Amino acid sequence: MLRPFEIHEPATVAEASRLLARLGEQAAVYAGGTELLLLMKEGLAHFPHLVNIKTIGGLDAIAFEDGVLRLGAVATHREIETSPAARQHAPLVARVASQVGNLRVRAAGTIGGNLCFAEPHSDPAAVLVAWDATLVLARAGGERCVPAAGFFLGMLQTAREPDEILTAVEVRPLPPGTGAAYHRFALHERPTAAVAAVVTVRDGAVAAARVVVGSVGPVPVRVPEAEDALAGRRPEGEVLRAAAEVAGRRADVLEDMFTSTEYKRHLVSLLAARALHDAVSAARTAH
Amino acid sequence: MTAGRRDSGEGKGGAAAPVDVVGTPVSRVDALDKVTGAAKYTGDLIVPGMLYGKVLRSPFPHARIICVDASAAERIPGVRAVLTGRDLADLDPYYGHAVRDRPVVAIDRVRFAGEPVAAVAADDEHTAHAALAAIQVEYQELPAVTDLTMALNDGAPRVHEEALRPGFLHSGEFRREEGNICYHYRIARGDAARAMAAADVVVEGDYTFPAVYQYAMEPHTVVAQWSADGLTVWACCQHPYLVRAELAGIFRLPQSAVRVIVPYVGGGFGSKSYTRMEPLTAALARKAGRPIRIANRVDEAMLTTRRHNMRCWLRTGVARDGRVVARECRIWLDTGAYADNGPRVALAAGDAAPGPYRWQAVAVDAWAVYTHMPPAGSYRAFGATHLQWIGESQIDVLAHRLGIDPVECRRRNLLRPGEEVRPGRKPLEADLAADVSKVAAAVGWGTPKPPLVGRGVSIGVMGAGANPASTAAVRMQADGTLVLLASTTEIGQGARTVLAQIAAQELALPLERIRVAGADTHVTPYDRSTGASRSTTVAGLAVQRAAADVREQLLDIASRVWGLPRVALRLHEGAVWHETESRSYADLIATHFGIAGGELIGRGEVAPGRGDGQAAGPVFWEISCGGAEVELDPSTGRIRVRRLASVADVGKAINPQLVEVQDEGACLQGLGNAFFEEMLFDGGQLINGSLLEYRVPTMADLPDEFHSILVGNGVGPGPYGAMGVGEGALAAVPGAIVNALLDLGLQMRDLPLTPERVWRRLREVE
Ligand SMILES: Cc1cc2nc3c(=O)[nH]c(=O)nc-3n(C[C@H](O)[C@H](O)[C@H](O)COP(=O)(O)OP(=O)(O)OC[C@H]3O[C@@H](n4cnc5c(N)ncnc54)[C@H](O)[C@@H]3O)c2cc1C
Repeated sequence: MLRPFEIHEPATVAEASRLLARLGEQAAVYAGGTELLLLMKEGLAHFPHLVNIKTIGGLDAIAFEDGVLRLGAVATHREIETSPAARQHAPLVARVASQVGNLRVRAAGTIGGNLCFAEPHSDPAAVLVAWDATLVLARAGGERCVPAAGFFLGMLQTAREPDEILTAVEVRPLPPGTGAAYHRFALHERPTAAVAAVVTVRDGAVAAARVVVGSVGPVPVRVPEAEDALAGRRPEGEVLRAAAEVAGRRADVLEDMFTSTEYKRHLVSLLAARALHDAVSAARTAH
Repeated sequence: MTAGRRDSGEGKGGAAAPVDVVGTPVSRVDALDKVTGAAKYTGDLIVPGMLYGKVLRSPFPHARIICVDASAAERIPGVRAVLTGRDLADLDPYYGHAVRDRPVVAIDRVRFAGEPVAAVAADDEHTAHAALAAIQVEYQELPAVTDLTMALNDGAPRVHEEALRPGFLHSGEFRREEGNICYHYRIARGDAARAMAAADVVVEGDYTFPAVYQYAMEPHTVVAQWSADGLTVWACCQHPYLVRAELAGIFRLPQSAVRVIVPYVGGGFGSKSYTRMEPLTAALARKAGRPIRIANRVDEAMLTTRRHNMRCWLRTGVARDGRVVARECRIWLDTGAYADNGPRVALAAGDAAPGPYRWQAVAVDAWAVYTHMPPAGSYRAFGATHLQWIGESQIDVLAHRLGIDPVECRRRNLLRPGEEVRPGRKPLEADLAADVSKVAAAVGWGTPKPPLVGRGVSIGVMGAGANPASTAAVRMQADGTLVLLASTTEIGQGARTVLAQIAAQELALPLERIRVAGADTHVTPYDRSTGASRSTTVAGLAVQRAAADVREQLLDIASRVWGLPRVALRLHEGAVWHETESRSYADLIATHFGIAGGELIGRGEVAPGRGDGQAAGPVFWEISCGGAEVELDPSTGRIRVRRLASVADVGKAINPQLVEVQDEGACLQGLGNAFFEEMLFDGGQLINGSLLEYRVPTMADLPDEFHSILVGNGVGPGPYGAMGVGEGALAAVPGAIVNALLDLGLQMRDLPLTPERVWRRLREVE
């Protein structure tokens, strides 16, 4: 049951940050509320103060400038999914936004809320870690940038300080010869298992690879053994199969009430094979 | 979704008037109210002075309550009363329509995790909720039997040690067996063991069905108020008169001192059949001396009633030519801590076990078993959903083994119209072989199949209509408009629309001139229940008779006015006509009363005592017939439904669109039951008690193609030859899917068919 709370509507990031600093554990950032309000309704958390950041001007902008696609933190999944800039410069990021939950969640839920909540079954998180995106965190005193891979510390835990606001996600277009792909398998709305792959192919061999397993563990993580199995090799048949198999074997898999870890490992291998196949195909046509 | 195909035959017609409103897909009379949000549900009501109630539930599946100390909670500002087992001393505190085994609130002992132990009434919900934590309960944990195996073990702790009284449903009939057996139903026909020994081919297997939640969008909500007149309860219940009877029993009141009012109901699917949160709310209101509202959350609704999980063993024997010979079956249904509707579910499951076939011998035993689990009761097509897929899958296994086409195998064995379904019961109305051919054709039976695509059909019959006791009244007002009074509740099925259509038809009255009142036991006449697909068939017949009663009165008046015999008169558009001359109903009423006022009251009743229905029942045999075409992804075990077909054999579709949506809704729930719905427990504790973790079907789960085939042979016992639908479709779906997988060589014996389960089975087969 939702207990009463007070809503604050700051006009600037600095003002929001100061509010957070002052109210401490009494307050939470409130964006789309799709996670936060559920939590509060279930009685799992209670914040007497919510700091609504949707009132801060420009925080929802999606723009491509100086070679960087900048997704404002309060841009909704739906806005990203339908944004021409996102579709042009990071089509996979736009496509993944379109796979999140259902239309209601996409229309209200924001990219910032998704990442800051650090729920293990996040679709964007896995893709952004593989893509090596940058998260911009701001507080009254200034700004800092954190690579996506360094942001997720554990289940529901991030590198964000309590008075920091995530203001944007920066995504650079993939370098030439690089392809990206993401495959998910969902029993519920959120994925049960997911794999993102970003592969650079040069002279017929893998020059760089990032294989990220999402949803099965506490945070999306790269699987170095799978990446090593690809490095320098021709990305074909047995090589891809072996890398995918390693991804399933090495992934950090948590138990849950719905599926066994054995089945999840199987899914990871399967999804890794599909993601690697698609990423390599995309890399071959990306110049 | 493709538009449903209609093979609608003409009804045989009970009325003199030409068929026009009846048989037309008029839009729902409550549509506008519902889409604009104007429709009022129980939770929308504010009764002056109303307090809010919250329930403290047991953390243990089985424990003795040493002491409940509510003093700290009572001291919290805003808390007005706390109800505990001690407050029930002057009541008859055990209720249950089948077995009076369930206390209004726990008395000395809790029997499942989630059982109400106390309830708080406070000025607002937050205060009530917060006060729950201040109630001190000292428990002594006791050994619990949290599954069927544990409950059936020799020497297992008994869930109920004391003698139990039967509820009104089983007066005289209720027998209790040893240990934790709550109820035993048995069918024995012929010498099954001997017939089985003589069969050419025999299959047998063990099967399981999970606990499932009925998920109605509106969880149980009740407002209770006491006054000098007695008790008034607003509740989203399906059977207001049965709830009234139980409340009168508990609070030792005459039935006329209990008033149950049912606003719109936000779905029930069985979860709101019989008595649920009403006694607890009324007891809390009595203690507080103020009106109280209690609204369950989803997790609380799941703990209030659910579908039975089941274990089953089934054996089928056939002759070489595909003729069925014998079937033996044993069924164990986990009814939880209280009988709820367990006995009826055992009966329906037992009845569904043989399927609609011509056997030489049958032996079925079905047991409802007490456990320390949340109680289980009704859910759309209970019993039939549990059993049909099992019996139907053995028919397919045998057909495959004999090299006979499964549809052909059914044609050879299906009962024909007029044949006996179960000894002593009503013979079959419908043409099952024709029905099964229709669904088979709709899923492409016999046409080439792409790889990894399988097809299956499933057919059964279920006794429907519950008890054929309904009454209705129609009141024609002085201006010629009509108020229709019936106690069938509008639960989303469109009852108000269909009943209005029937009255409109009988009285040749435009639909806009009819208003249908909500159920209110002080106002709307007796109806037994809203369930078992009975509203159109049984309540509809009562309404038809009530409307006909007014029609006769109008004709009498007109014949007096004109001095003409009644055969010279006809009804049309709200007036009685003689050739080209007409008198409006308003005119006739004014003439009759001699003033500009008055009204005509029509009365209709359907009663077994006057020969309606057959003593041994059922009111009719509802048909459960479906077909599926599925595609298997062997890498994940996921199944996609390419085509789903269902026959709604309704006798006469009074409103074809409402029939279709009933059929489609039931199919969608069938897909949920088949593929993913399952309540998960750990040591008796529900662990997926939210809609994030308990998945119900959504539009995303619709099959690629969906065929709802309406069949109307006019053979039903309801108005215009109608018979009910709305349940059968659900029961057919799991069987059609399981058989489609069998077509791909995969035999599944446990539901739901989660991808992991299918994937594991695939690996076993390989
Ligand atoms: C039914 C359902 C299905 C879903 N399915 C999926 C799915 O398939 N895939 C998927 O990836 N996700 C899924 N989600 C999660 C969804 O993506 C997130 O709910 C949504 O994006 C969160 O954004 P929000 O704006 O609503 O966050 P909120 O609920 O407002 O906030 C979430 C958390 O982040 C904090 N926060 C929010 N924004 C910021 C910020 N800018 N800076 C600092 N802290 C911030 C809040 O304080 C809070 O702790 C689903 C959710 C639901 C309810």
